[in-house]
Amino acid sequence: MKEIIFAGFGGQGVLTGGLIIAYMAAQKDLNAVWMPAYGPTMRGGKANCVVKFGETVQEKVGSPIMEDADILIAMNEPSLDYLQFCKPDATVFVNSNAVRQDYDYPEGMTVISVDCVHLAQEAENMKGQNLVMAGAVIKKCSLFELEYATAAMCRFFESKGKGKYNDKNIKAIECGYRAVS
Amino acid sequence: MAKELMKGNVAAAEAAIRAGMDFFAGYPITPSTEVLEHLALRMPQENREMIQGENEIASMNMVIGAAACGARAMTASSGPGISLKAEAFSYAARSELPYVCLNVQRWGVGLGRLDSGQSDYMRETKGGGHGDYHHIVYSPSTIQELVDDIYEAWDVSEKYRCGVVVLSEGFLGQMMESVEIPPYKKREKPLGWGIDGSGKIGTRQSPDTDTLVARLRERTALIQSQMQRYENYQVEDAEYVFVAFGLPARVCRDAVDTLRAKGEKAGLIRPRLVWPYPVQAFKEVNPQVKGFISIESNDLGQMVEDVALASRVTSDKRVPVYCYAHSMGTPGVKMVMGKYMEVKNGSMKEVF
Repeated sequence: MKEIIFAGFGGQGVLTGGLIIAYMAAQKDLNAVWMPAYGPTMRGGKANCVVKFGETVQEKVGSPIMEDADILIAMNEPSLDYLQFCKPDATVFVNSNAVRQDYDYPEGMTVISVDCVHLAQEAENMKGQNLVMAGAVIKKCSLFELEYATAAMCRFFESKGKGKYNDKNIKAIECGYRAVS
Repeated sequence: MAKELMKGNVAAAEAAIRAGMDFFAGYPITPSTEVLEHLALRMPQENREMIQGENEIASMNMVIGAAACGARAMTASSGPGISLKAEAFSYAARSELPYVCLNVQRWGVGLGRLDSGQSDYMRETKGGGHGDYHHIVYSPSTIQELVDDIYEAWDVSEKYRCGVVVLSEGFLGQMMESVEIPPYKKREKPLGWGIDGSGKIGTRQSPDTDTLVARLRERTALIQSQMQRYENYQVEDAEYVFVAFGLPARVCRDAVDTLRAKGEKAGLIRPRLVWPYPVQAFKEVNPQVKGFISIESNDLGQMVEDVALASRVTSDKRVPVYCYAHSMGTPGVKMVMGKYMEVKNGSMKEVF
């Protein structure tokens, strides 16, 4: 089972980012759950979603709530509040443009800093910072192959009638994917 | 058919269409609004009727009218919205009309809050409106079960001529999960009683009071014996057994696995219907069980009363019944395991 928290400000695409990862898992016939934080929130306020999926076709997702994450994606600093819901050896991806460098992380966690703004600029897709991050996570945590991931993402956007941005979005994911080793 | 990632509310609405729903009337309320939203798009495509009523009770009254004419009719809402429909539920029961009501529960009394919860257990299982009647109440834990329950709901409702409630939860409605949507189906046999304009059949020809009472009693007993649905997990040798439905049941199952790995003899009863209550499930539990623990997402504990009643069939001795009422949201696995240990070490007081 993989548990991923994708968090940031409303408008940073964290719900969509998480949904695309869940979609990639679901398209592989893995049992996947996407749980958005919902309620009386506002644009620019805190937003997050939790994605859980089985690592085999047989594995089911039990509890759908945030509790024991393997991966935390923090698009801003307030998102680091969710470190309390991470495993002691979790991998934390931080947006280096919105989180200070000297943040004190719990010992045992792996922290990956991703320069989302510059990578999105490189992809000529400033709105694709969430996809940059998704690309980095997919590579670093060996979730999916790049080719499969981009194809699944394209299907996702096509199903929403947004297929015309696929080329830019593929570039964004690729930039993130190549930025980590 | 391949599985799709779908939002609970959308999957529920689509399942109703596939089940042959002819008519829907409702009024929007978070966290159930996507049901109306999806149906507003899809029902006209299927050449079926969808109406956003002027309010909740009007919508339910329209459902009564449609059901009386033999249509497969449905309404949906959330806690406070369902309260407003209660009078109409009672009238529908008096006319023995089949229909489906989806309750995407929110937390709390009064207006409550948008948070997910299981605050409506009492109302849905005990009637909710005036007079003597019951809904048949499904309690799905996954979006697939939510879909399957709605797909079956009219078949059951028409068989027993009894309203059906599908008890969803805010989180279940808002989250997305891999799900298989079933094919389109229609009612197999004509009902034989829907108003058809001839004046010869229909609910105006309702029976005298004595016949009606006898019929309601007979049907209620039949439903109670024929609709015992539950999933028991590791209860045969369990020392303590969780009882939970909906999302908390998923959490409890994870907790049972983790506790078992640590050598604790935990088990789970998961009612698939909460009315009729699955008393049968409690007969399969280890007679030496030391306690039942009801895990609920409300403030005071509601199902725990039914757990206490049902526990009488497990053993000749009284089995202690405990309750953890989590309030809003859904408890986590660690929280539930903590409550198990509190029961075991005696720091949690029994309720019954």
